[in-house]
Amino acid sequence: MFDTSITFGQFIQAIIDTLYMVGMSLLVGTIIGLILGILIVVTRPSGVVEMKWIYGILNPIINIVRSVPFIILLVAIIPFTRGIVGTSIGTTAAIVPLIIFISPFIARLVENSLLEVNPGIIEAAEAMGATPFQVIWYFVLPEAFGSLILSLTTATISLIGATAMAGTVGGGGVGDLAIVYGYQRFDTFAMVSTVIILITFVQVIQSIGNALARLIRRN
Amino acid sequence: MITLRDVSKTYHRKKISTEALKKINLQIEKGDIFGVIGYSGAGKSTLVRLVNYLERPTSGEITVDGKHLAELNPHNLREIKKEIGMIFQQFNLLESKTIFQNVAMPLILAKTNKQVIQERVTELLAFVGLADKAASYPSELSGGQKQRVGIARALASKPKILLCDEATSALDPQTTQSILDLLKKVNEEYGITILLITHEMAVIQQICNKVAVMEEGNIIEKGSVVSVFGKPKHPTTKGFVQTVVKNELPFSIKTKLKKNQQQKLYRLDMIGDHTMESIFYYLFHTFQLQVTVVFTNMTEIQDSVLAVWYIQVEGEERNKQQAWSFLVENQVNVEEITI
Ligand SMILES: Nc1ncnc2c1ncn2[C@@H]1O[C@H](COP(=O)(O)OP(=O)(O)OP(=O)(O)O)[C@@H](O)[C@H]1O
Ligand SMILES: [Mg+2]
Repeated sequence: MFDTSITFGQFIQAIIDTLYMVGMSLLVGTIIGLILGILIVVTRPSGVVEMKWIYGILNPIINIVRSVPFIILLVAIIPFTRGIVGTSIGTTAAIVPLIIFISPFIARLVENSLLEVNPGIIEAAEAMGATPFQVIWYFVLPEAFGSLILSLTTATISLIGATAMAGTVGGGGVGDLAIVYGYQRFDTFAMVSTVIILITFVQVIQSIGNALARLIRRN
Repeated sequence: MITLRDVSKTYHRKKISTEALKKINLQIEKGDIFGVIGYSGAGKSTLVRLVNYLERPTSGEITVDGKHLAELNPHNLREIKKEIGMIFQQFNLLESKTIFQNVAMPLILAKTNKQVIQERVTELLAFVGLADKAASYPSELSGGQKQRVGIARALASKPKILLCDEATSALDPQTTQSILDLLKKVNEEYGITILLITHEMAVIQQICNKVAVMEEGNIIEKGSVVSVFGKPKHPTTKGFVQTVVKNELPFSIKTKLKKNQQQKLYRLDMIGDHTMESIFYYLFHTFQLQVTVVFTNMTEIQDSVLAVWYIQVEGEERNKQQAWSFLVENQVNVEEITI
């Protein structure tokens, strides 16, 4: 059982790598995803500032990027990655495809969360003479906040799954450890322990997300 | 205060066009509590939403407080919206904000100074009777309390006009009463003109001074509440009036009268404050008529009373004719009824 070739240091490094990849790509992906999500909600037909051409461009782009499997995206954008971070291998290089993978996903989740907001609230805002920016900032975003937190929780968990594949470009991380040692070298301990670590990650993140959302929604 | 001239609105959805409003003409004076009543789909919501330009008219002209809405740029349009408060059937409060923050919202949008917001919101919450709920959330409030918050929020920017779209339709009769009382107080204490939409005639009866009846995008009847309730012309209006004014002969009395049908039945209708007693005194003493009251009803509208009397009369034919002329001179409508 404890017959393993992974050192404790490798474990720690893998955990740090995973946290780094998930954290960075979540941060940047949330910013891009929020902007895209808000844009497609406000510019859609009968949105707050209807602009058919913006919606008409963004909506299919998001769909196209989302329909590419992550493993293919990872390889396909290698030249782009190299152009941005100077290398196509390593943890930092893995963050670029992770961001491109997660941003449109977050945009869709944000879109759903914002569309759930009671249209009556937007009507009330417009009746008060709110500007389109004020409608979003003071009415839609606060009302969608709990739902947005749950969306980001879902996105974070997807990212953890995607980081495992990032091992393919030498990204490292816990998932990579599981594949390289556990799967390819039949190291049972590595397999079981990395899976336990991933399960723990997912559980903890989901619990935090749920707790935050409940706190925000107050019920 | 609000004028609609030949206003039409047609919606286009998936190649189907709906004429929600057809050449509407309406004049609402300062200080009015103007009621619009109609069945579902009549176009009432469309009408109010045009007044604060949530919806644009397809044709026609709307003026609010002397300004032509069509001529305003987006900025001025937002400014005039601050002079028009609105409350909704579903309240439309921000669930994520406290009652205080909800009421403060129009002031926050106008970048009002914090001190002023504090004072104004406190004053408004006291006005609507919710001073103790400032820190609560909408989910902790009853429907009636939520509508009070809606009213306080609508008043925050000191509007001249308040639009109410079915503001009491989600409430029970008692709560409806208290909200209507509050609206009346808003009208009297702040001098705010109210345009109110409803499908319940009782709401019109209780607080409105003028009413318009809508059907299929048209205004089929309008006027002072007393005159429309007293002499409804259109069948739809009659239907609405009869929901609150029980001036038709009850079925049980009809069947009884049918059995012994020797005597003629007369219906007397009157609006106003002159007392019926003196009229009966004249019928009896001056015209020597023997009067039997078969059925009567009185309904209070505004500061007036609508009265209906179904009577049978014995006496000389000549005296009867004189009596009827006398009644008509005194604004009592006389009609012979066949059952
Ligand atoms: N946004 C819209 N798009 C298309 N048709 C609409 C729209 N809003 C209203 N209509 C149509 O216009 C007509 C009038 O609707 P409106 O909501 O003004 O009626 P209402 O009198 O307020 O009815 P209710 O008592 O049910 O609220 C209806 O036939 C409705 O289907
Ligand atoms: Mg309506």
